[in-house]
Amino acid sequence: MPTADTIAPRAIVEAHGISKRFGDLEVLSDIDFRLDSSEVVCVIGPSGSGKSTLLRCLAFLEPYDNGSVYIDGQLLGYDQRGGMRVRAGERRIDEVRAPVGMVFQHFHLWPHRTALENVTEALRLVNGLSRRDAEAEGMAMLERVGLAERAGHFPESLSGGQKQRVAIARALAMKPRVMLFDEPTSALDPELVGEVLDVMKQLAADGMTMVIVTHEMGFAANVSNRVVFMDQGQVVESGPPSILFRQPRSARLKQFLNTWRERHID
Amino acid sequence: MLEILLNHYPVLIKGLTTTLVVSLSAIALGLVLGILLAFGLTSQSRLVRWPCGLYRSFWRGTPILLQLLLVYYLLPEIGIEVAPITAAILTLTLNTAAFQSEIFRSGIAHIPAGQIEAARMAGISAWQTRRRIVMPQVFRLTLPPLTNEIITILKNSSLVSVIAVTELMRVSEQIASRTFQPLETYLAAAVLYLAVNLVLARISAHLERRMAGGLATE
Amino acid sequence: MFDFALLWEARELILQGLWNTVWICFLGCLVALSLGLVLAALRLSNPRLFGYPVACYVELCRGTPLLVLLFLLYYGGPSIGIRLDAEIAGVTGIGLYGAGYFAEIYRGGFKSIPKGQLEAARMLGISRWHALTRIQIPQMLRLIVPPGTNQLIILVKESALISIISVDDLTKNATTIVNQTFSVIEPYLAVALLYWMIIELIARGGYALEKRLANRQPRHVTPKGDPAHAHG
Repeated sequence: MPTADTIAPRAIVEAHGISKRFGDLEVLSDIDFRLDSSEVVCVIGPSGSGKSTLLRCLAFLEPYDNGSVYIDGQLLGYDQRGGMRVRAGERRIDEVRAPVGMVFQHFHLWPHRTALENVTEALRLVNGLSRRDAEAEGMAMLERVGLAERAGHFPESLSGGQKQRVAIARALAMKPRVMLFDEPTSALDPELVGEVLDVMKQLAADGMTMVIVTHEMGFAANVSNRVVFMDQGQVVESGPPSILFRQPRSARLKQFLNTWRERHID
Repeated sequence: MLEILLNHYPVLIKGLTTTLVVSLSAIALGLVLGILLAFGLTSQSRLVRWPCGLYRSFWRGTPILLQLLLVYYLLPEIGIEVAPITAAILTLTLNTAAFQSEIFRSGIAHIPAGQIEAARMAGISAWQTRRRIVMPQVFRLTLPPLTNEIITILKNSSLVSVIAVTELMRVSEQIASRTFQPLETYLAAAVLYLAVNLVLARISAHLERRMAGGLATE
Repeated sequence: MFDFALLWEARELILQGLWNTVWICFLGCLVALSLGLVLAALRLSNPRLFGYPVACYVELCRGTPLLVLLFLLYYGGPSIGIRLDAEIAGVTGIGLYGAGYFAEIYRGGFKSIPKGQLEAARMLGISRWHALTRIQIPQMLRLIVPPGTNQLIILVKESALISIISVDDLTKNATTIVNQTFSVIEPYLAVALLYWMIIELIARGGYALEKRLANRQPRHVTPKGDPAHAHG
């Protein structure tokens, strides 16, 4: 267990020097990351820069090799036993990860469950709610993302934007203190991106703590408190969007922003 | 089992050769018939489609052993005397043609219609389009199911032993009754069948990798 | 012309053959379905320990004729002290042979469920057991119905081989009638029709099951094919 002084003042998510290899490829090298309550952080960078891997490591969907990730002050994924670090049991991982909700690029809704059942499944299985309580709670969540009238639909009959909003409702139902978004709009047709971003904006306005891996620069500029720019497995620059986008210091960020502008102004 | 293989390998090899001759001739003849049937199944005319469909239903919907017995006993009945091996190849051919026609039909259905339209617009004849544009792609697409079909026919060829064709299975029966070692003998037969089929699967996988490039699936 | 009286005369043999084919296929398929599930579960739960042996077993079933397996059981069994009735050898042969194919079908069903769905479950704190029983198995069942139906049909057609080890099934009794009456067409066509009916019944059952499960999950449009015509 970490002692209070190593991580004071307490952040919701804190990563120290984490690294990750896939075989010979180092996808994350020595990354520090800190997220305070009610912060909205956007992670940007070229594809293959390691931003999605970072997010997955923060959720321990991908075990990190070195360094440590703390959720609410608790080490995620490993236990310290007599100076040795061993992988924690599934139960322990679930327990530490409980305050974290996640939204995936490809939604990953369960196709054999309706929109409402997707939301209520964990409420019933994990929180042990009765069917009626879970459904009331689930409907409230669907209402929040504007999809109450689609409750009985199967994912197949929903548009991409609606699927992603159901996925957000599913994560929200577990009352997370942090929400991680892994390119939530990248798999959507352009005209459906807006409805998902609107839901996320509302969440930010309600004070939800969020980390968003995204290619939506406008959203990053307008909604986030802080932008982190990654390239080749490293955090190259980070800071408030007003500064980062207007006065990029590193050549890599300048080039990244130029490429983006060329592609989007025509 | 090794003892059987070592002591009787000349007859076993002879039986295996017959197995291969019977199966591979049926596959080759069935390929021709199967392609023609596939064209029939995808024909515009209902008068062509319907009998082809009925043919396919019968040969795919009944046990191959029954088909073999029917062919074997029926031919002399209508005045055609054939050697058992001919009846065997004929049955396997008629059977595999039905299965291959379905494989090719589905392969043809996977070729984007735009390609055929483009060929027709370029003035290439319908027959030329089939031969030079559609079928080469169909062969690549259908290689995995075709391999399965070849293996299935090889396995099914074992039952022509019942009409006294001395292929691998029949030879094994003879050895078993002579040596009183049925377990060892049939294990040896199993090993030989398995070996041939594994080699076939390998060759097919190799071909598939080599032909993987340049295939439009849409 | 077609002589129906001949068939009526031989009705007892035909019915006896039908009964034997049906119960032997039923038990054989039951063994194949359950043993296949066990094999697939072993392979998926501990690939390092069971992956290779199960893969070998599958290859064995795919690479050797059912007839060889039946001969091994019926004629080879006694030399290691296993004496099986022809009927039981038939059930065992169909069961062992089919299990290899079903193991692959189950495995394919599990593998085609996107991994992300399980990650989503993990992130919500849903346990592995619940993920298995509530998310994986219901979808797997839906996915394996079409190939499973196909495989059952193949096994029924291959069951004609048990006539060669002297089981009085449809095929054997048809041949008996042929030998008694010297008429070839009537017995064989009648029996072909009976096989076709059994197969059609299985195909329709599979289709109905698929539709029923589809009501709970209107996804995964299966390619339209005629399962009555699987190979065998």
